[in-house]
Amino acid sequence: MTIRLTETDFGYTGRFDAMASPCECLIESKDIATARAVMQLVSQETARIEQKYSRYRQDNLCFQINHSNGASVPIDSETYQLLLFADSCFKSSDGLFDITSGVLRKVWHFQPGATLPTQAQIATLLPYIGWSKVTFSEHHVCLPPGFEIDFGGIGKEYAVDRCAQILSHHFPALAVLLNFGGDLRTTIAPQTRVAWHIGVDCKVPDLTRMVELRSGGVCTSGSTERYLMVDGKRYSHILNPQTGYAVSDAPLTVTVLSDQCLSSGLLATLAMLHGQDAEAFLQQQAVKYFIQW
Amino acid sequence: MQLNNQQASKRRTMRPIAGAITAASCALLGPAATAADGDFWDFSEKWRFDSGFLYYGETDRVSAVEGVFSATREADVNDIFNFKVVLDSLTGASPSGAVAQPGVQTFTRPSGRGQYDVMAGDIPLDDTFRDTRLQMNAQWTKPAWQDVTSSYGVHFSKEYDYLSLGLNGSLAFDFNQKNSTFSAGLSYASDTYEPEGGIPLAFAEMVIDQGQPDFQTEFDATRIDSSDTRTTTDLLLGWTQIINRTTIMQLNYSYSNVDGYLTDPFKIFSVVDGNGVSLEQRYEKRPDSRTKHSVFAQVKHHFDESVADVSLRLMTDDWEIDSTTVEYKHYFWLSDNHYIEPQFRFYQQSAAEFYKPYWQSSEPLPEYASADIRLGAFSAYTIGLKYGWKTAGGNDMAVRLSYYQQVADDEIGVHPGVLNDLEIYPDLDAVFLQVTYSF
Repeated sequence: MTIRLTETDFGYTGRFDAMASPCECLIESKDIATARAVMQLVSQETARIEQKYSRYRQDNLCFQINHSNGASVPIDSETYQLLLFADSCFKSSDGLFDITSGVLRKVWHFQPGATLPTQAQIATLLPYIGWSKVTFSEHHVCLPPGFEIDFGGIGKEYAVDRCAQILSHHFPALAVLLNFGGDLRTTIAPQTRVAWHIGVDCKVPDLTRMVELRSGGVCTSGSTERYLMVDGKRYSHILNPQTGYAVSDAPLTVTVLSDQCLSSGLLATLAMLHGQDAEAFLQQQAVKYFIQW
Repeated sequence: MQLNNQQASKRRTMRPIAGAITAASCALLGPAATAADGDFWDFSEKWRFDSGFLYYGETDRVSAVEGVFSATREADVNDIFNFKVVLDSLTGASPSGAVAQPGVQTFTRPSGRGQYDVMAGDIPLDDTFRDTRLQMNAQWTKPAWQDVTSSYGVHFSKEYDYLSLGLNGSLAFDFNQKNSTFSAGLSYASDTYEPEGGIPLAFAEMVIDQGQPDFQTEFDATRIDSSDTRTTTDLLLGWTQIINRTTIMQLNYSYSNVDGYLTDPFKIFSVVDGNGVSLEQRYEKRPDSRTKHSVFAQVKHHFDESVADVSLRLMTDDWEIDSTTVEYKHYFWLSDNHYIEPQFRFYQQSAAEFYKPYWQSSEPLPEYASADIRLGAFSAYTIGLKYGWKTAGGNDMAVRLSYYQQVADDEIGVHPGVLNDLEIYPDLDAVFLQVTYSF
C-alpha cells in the first residue's frame, strides 16, 4: 500500500487506496513524524479490516463463513460485535438493512449495458435472504446453506470509526479528519479553525455542498455512480432485501451527519431504501442531513 | 406483491431509529468511541476557554478595566453550554448634567457626605464615580426537536449599589434545507437600585452645605427611599438567511419594555436665569416606562481571503429617541494564521423629548426633565483595528484598539447670557484596548 503525504496550510494530508476507494487523512500537525505515524496506524488498521472482511478474498474469515454450507463457523470477538451490530440494524430497521442480501448481486449488475433481472431470477434468490434465519453466538455463526453475509454495507464506515478511535487513543490532542471515499469522521475538533470545511460530493456535476464539521461523522449514500437506467428509470445499486429489487424512486444522494461514521452510513443507506419517503424517514431521526433529488 | 412489500416496509420503519443505531455502533466500537461523547466535565475534549482584558479610557473622565473569562462546552454544532464571568472596575468622573458657569460651582456629593467644586468654565463632572461590577451568565443551547434549537440562560449582575437578575429563552427553527432560520426569544430582567445616599426626590433642589446646622435634615428631605426597582421585558424575532455559499444575511426585530425606576439618581439639571446664571440644581426625573422598537440588518460576505460584515440598526422609542447605527468590519486573512480586522462605526441619535442641557427659571418645570447627555442628540463614530494571530502553542490571541468620539448636536443655537461663551454639551473621546486569548 503506497502512502502519499502532502504538506498543507493546516499540516499534512496523507492518501492511500484501500477498500476500492481513495482514503485520505487531513492531519492538523506540522510535524511530519506525527503525520507519518498517523498514516501508519490508519493504513495498517484499514488493511487489517479489509483483509479480514472483504468478500473478494478467498483467504479470510468472510469466505469461510460464506462457504460453510450450513456448518457452524468459529468467530472471534470482533466478528461477534460486528454481527451484533448488523443484528441491531436489522431489528431496528424492521429488516430493511440485511447483511444477507448480498446474494442478489448474482442477478443485479450495474455496469453499463446491463439489463434488469427478471422477476423469476429474483424469486429464486429470495429464499436465500433473511438475517433472522442466521444463528450466532459469541463464538460461532451458522448460516443456512446457500446463504452469504456481506460486510460491504458497513465495512468502510467501520474502518473509518476504528481508525478514528485508534488515533484518539495514540494522539488524544490531535485533530484528524478521515475521509474514505466520502465516508468521513473526525477525531477531535480542529484547533486552528472552528471546523473542517468539507465539500460533500453530491455526485452531481458542478455541485458540491459545503459542510462545516467540528466533530462527528458524515456519510453519503447515492445512486449516481453505480446504477442502472432502464426505460428512463434509475435503479440504484442499493437493493431492498425484502423485495429483491433495486431502489428506483430514491434520491440521487443522501448525506447524513451524526456522531459516528457507522451510524451516519446506516441512516443514509436506510434513507435510500425508503425511496421517495427518504426525507420523511430522516426527519424522524433528528440528525442533520442533505438530500439531493 | 412487490409494491405491497415496499409499502409494508415503509409503514413499519417510519419511526426514530437513529438512537438504536447509534447505540449499536457505540457498542461495536467499544467504550473508547463513546468517550468522544464525553462526560460533561471532561475538560480535555469539548471545552473551550476564552479570556479577555479590556481597558476603556475617556479623556479626563471615566476609565474602566474589565476581565472576562468564558468557558464553552460545544458538544455539537447546536449543543453548546457557555458560562461567562465578567469583572469590571470603573473609576473617574462623569458629567452630572449641570451646566458650566463663569465662576466656581459647589455641588453636594450624591451620598450627602461632602462636596466638590467645579472650576470656572468647566463642565461639572461628578468625581465620585467608582464601582466594581461582577456579572455572571450561563447559557445553554441544545436541539429541542426536529429542526428546532432551544436556548435558555440566566444572568446575574452585581454592583455596589445595583443588582440585576435575568432569565431568557429562545427557539430557533431551521427550514428550507437549513438555509433559513427563524428565531423567537423572550427575556426578562429585574433590577434593584440602592444608591448610596438613597433615591433623590425628583425635581428637589440640591442642598449645599454652607455651614447651616440642619444640613443633614435638609439633605434627608430630598430623599424619598433607599432603593427602587425596574423590570425589563425583551422580545426578539430573528431571521437568518444563507443566500449562497459566501453570503449570509440576518434580520432582527426587537421590542423592549422597561418599567419602574428609570431615572438616574446621580443626575441633576441646572435652572438658569435670563443671563444664563445658574440659580439652582435639581434632581432629574424620567418617565417610569420606556418602550423601544429596533430593527437590525446584517450582511456578511465571504471573499477569497477576507470577510466583509456590514450592519445597520434603527431604533425608535416612546421617549422620542431615534437612533441609527451603521457598522462596517472587514476581516482580512493574512498568511501564517494572522488576520486584521478594521472597523468603522457611526451612530446618531435624536434627543429625548424631556432632554435639555438646562432649564430657564422663566419656564414652568415640565413633567419630566433630564440634562443627561446620553439622552441628548449626538453623533458618534468609532474607528478600530483588530489584529489576531495564532500563538506558538496553537491558541488564538487578538488585540483590538479603537477610538470613539462623540459630538453633541446643538439644537438650541443661541444660549442666554453667559452660557453663550461656555461649553454647553460635554463631548467625549475614548480609547478601547482589548486583548483576548482563547485556549
